[in-house]
Amino acid sequence: MDNCLEVKNLSKSFGNFQLRDITFTLPKGYIMGLIGPNGSGKTTTIKLILNMLKRTNGEVKILGLDNITDEQAAKSNLGVVFDTNYFSDDWKIPQVEKSISAFYPNWNTHKFSDLLEKFRILPSKKVNELSKGMQMKLMLACAFSYDAKLLILDEPTSGLDPVSRDELLNILSEYIEDGGHSVLFSTHITGDLERVADYITYIRYGELFFSGGKDEFIDSFQIVKGGHGELPADLSAKAFGIREFTTGFEALIRTQDQKQFAHLSAEPATIDDIVVFTNKIGGQHE
Amino acid sequence: MSNIWKSVKLDFSLVEPYTKTILFALVLPSVFAAINRSLLTGISFAMCFMAMTTGYTFSVTERNSMERLYGILPVRKSEIVIGRYIFIIIMGLIALLFSLIAHPILLVVLGETIRLSDIGNAAAMGIFLFALYTVFLLPGYYKLGSIKGRMFLYIPAACFLATLSFITMDPAKNSTLFFTVIRFPAISVILAIAAAAAMYILSILVSVKIVQNKEM
Repeated sequence: MDNCLEVKNLSKSFGNFQLRDITFTLPKGYIMGLIGPNGSGKTTTIKLILNMLKRTNGEVKILGLDNITDEQAAKSNLGVVFDTNYFSDDWKIPQVEKSISAFYPNWNTHKFSDLLEKFRILPSKKVNELSKGMQMKLMLACAFSYDAKLLILDEPTSGLDPVSRDELLNILSEYIEDGGHSVLFSTHITGDLERVADYITYIRYGELFFSGGKDEFIDSFQIVKGGHGELPADLSAKAFGIREFTTGFEALIRTQDQKQFAHLSAEPATIDDIVVFTNKIGGQHE
Repeated sequence: MSNIWKSVKLDFSLVEPYTKTILFALVLPSVFAAINRSLLTGISFAMCFMAMTTGYTFSVTERNSMERLYGILPVRKSEIVIGRYIFIIIMGLIALLFSLIAHPILLVVLGETIRLSDIGNAAAMGIFLFALYTVFLLPGYYKLGSIKGRMFLYIPAACFLATLSFITMDPAKNSTLFFTVIRFPAISVILAIAAAAAMYILSILVSVKIVQNKEM
């Protein structure tokens, strides 16, 4: 299987924060969700991939090309969408095209016009007259117009209304349909990933917690529940986090440990559950 | 088209919305030339004003967090920096050419006598002054940003005042190298271009180093 993105032992130190040995692989034709709470290192990982930060250690290959020695070639096939737009607010849409298209030899003007129409972006508008959702679509339209093979999105859905989020997810699903395009999608709105992601990479406190298939990730964990006074003494050693109520408790455990607690009711965990519980105080990994 | 020229084009598109302000900076020094009845004063103001507008590209970039755009474009950081210098030099040349044409016409209309050698010397001084203003300013902007970097405008301003004191002296009463050189405008233009080229090379090297060490 061809890989679109390979990240190996990626590390970076800033003052008190350390990103340590992040390793993951995104195969061509798939969407990977990059998850973790705020400050876990998602944006740092993305900036290291883009060579916007200097890594302390590690290796990054984009479409088989080193992100530093082959930076230009790698970036010519890369589209990036951040949480806010990176165009001049004063530019009108044709100025955006004029300024950006020069850098991409395979820019397709017809495709750009078609995408503007499809995304309902009026060419007469200035960038600062577009809504946040429209600005995000404009960044996507640019990336699609030079046929970026890898799309990296850093928290694109934060601040978007549910309709815009739904539209974005549809666009991404359509984008990877041909099998030649891939998406690395950083978000803390994990519901979006349940819908579109094929792979998950979960970074926690600057360290890799998990990287692999989404289903494998979700299936690896279970939520066990019990009533008041039913909390087993040995559960806290196995649980990633326990939430106690006046009426009972719920805890996240690995599916392989569930047999030990067969007397408790269990239900599948969501990505949100896993992120929330693995960041709660009192779990086995604290 | 090379990546450097693409970067130059990108910088032109950044300041496009400020064309009127830049035109104002281009035309205003004509007033000073007319008031002082001096070609050199007009050129000095023109180059100083145009050097001040170099901050536009930096402030537009900062205001829109466009360092992220520069970070994803398939170009080297050094190409973006060189592109910005070329853009600034082009702006300076436009200001110089405009002033070298408009100011003599204005002064002749006002009854002054302008010789070809005056224009030659004004061109040499304009080239040298603009280079002197911008070679400090641009690394300052790259290092400190468009707000803090403005303090590097003091250096061009001090140079400007020093220049004014030079040009108000009577050349006939001086025998310094400066006044010897200005008797031969072709030499003064060549010397100004050589000095500007040397200063820009050093300034570009410093700016590239600053940008390469900067994390976005």
